[in-house]
Amino acid sequence: MDSLHAIGFYVSAAVSLAGGLSVAFLPDRLRRGIALGAVAIGVAGIYLSLSAGFAALVALACYGGCAVLLAGPSYRIFESVTATVWRQLGAIASAVLLVALAYAAYFGAFHHANYFGGDFGSAALGRRLFAHDALATEAVAALVLVALVGSTIAWRSRDRSR
Amino acid sequence: MAVKGPQPMTAGLVAVLFVAAGLVSVGAFIAAWRRDLTIALAGIPLMFAGAGTAFAGVSRFAAAPAGGGQLLGQEVAVLLAVAALAAVVLGVGLAGREGRR
Repeated sequence: MDSLHAIGFYVSAAVSLAGGLSVAFLPDRLRRGIALGAVAIGVAGIYLSLSAGFAALVALACYGGCAVLLAGPSYRIFESVTATVWRQLGAIASAVLLVALAYAAYFGAFHHANYFGGDFGSAALGRRLFAHDALATEAVAALVLVALVGSTIAWRSRDRSR
Repeated sequence: MAVKGPQPMTAGLVAVLFVAAGLVSVGAFIAAWRRDLTIALAGIPLMFAGAGTAFAGVSRFAAAPAGGGQLLGQEVAVLLAVAALAAVVLGVGLAGREGRR
C-alpha cells in the first residue's frame, strides 16, 4: 500500500471510530445521526483505500441510509427494561471482545501479508454477485423484502390503532 | 554505512484488522450500553461495517487465486451493508409502532 492510500486509510479509520464513539455518547438524535453519517463516510474511505470502490459506494449509501433513518422524524423512543447491571456487564463484554479481537489480529500470522492493490473491479464484482454467487444475493434481497414489508405492516397497524 | 532515507507510510493487514475489531466492539458497546433500543439499533451497522472491513481487508491482502476469488471479501462487504440497512429499517419500523415520541 502506498503512502497516499495509507494516509487515506488511517484518516478514514479515525473518522469512523470517532463517529462510532460519538453515536455511543451523544445525547440527541440529530447529532447521533450526523455521527453515524461520519461512520458511513469513514467506512467508505476505508473500502476506497483498500481498492474496493464499488463496496465503498454501496457502504456509503447503506450506512448513510441507516443514519438518515435513525436521525429522521420517524424516530421513536423505545426504552428497554434491562437492569443497569446487565448493561454494564454488556459494556465490559464488548471491551473483552475488543481485547480478544486485537490479540488475535496482532498475534496471528498477518504481519507478512502483502497488499495486492488493483482496480475497482465493479464489473467483475457484479458478475460475482449476479452470476457466481446469485443465491447469496437473492437471500439478501429476500431479507430486504421481508424488512420492508414488516416495517410497512408495523407502520400501518400503528396508524390504524390511532 | 548506508544511510536509510525516510520510509514510506504504509498500512498492513494487522492495522485493517485492528480497525475492524474497534468497529465491531464499538457497535457491541452501543447495543449493550444504550437504554433506548432505537439507539441500540445503531450498533448493528457498526458491527456489520467492522465485519465488512475485515472481509475486504483480508481479500485485498490475500494472494490472488484463480477465478477472481480476491473479490469475495468485497462481495461479502456489499451484502453486509445491505443486510445492515434492512435490519435498521425493520427495527425503526417496529420501534415506531411500539415506541413514543
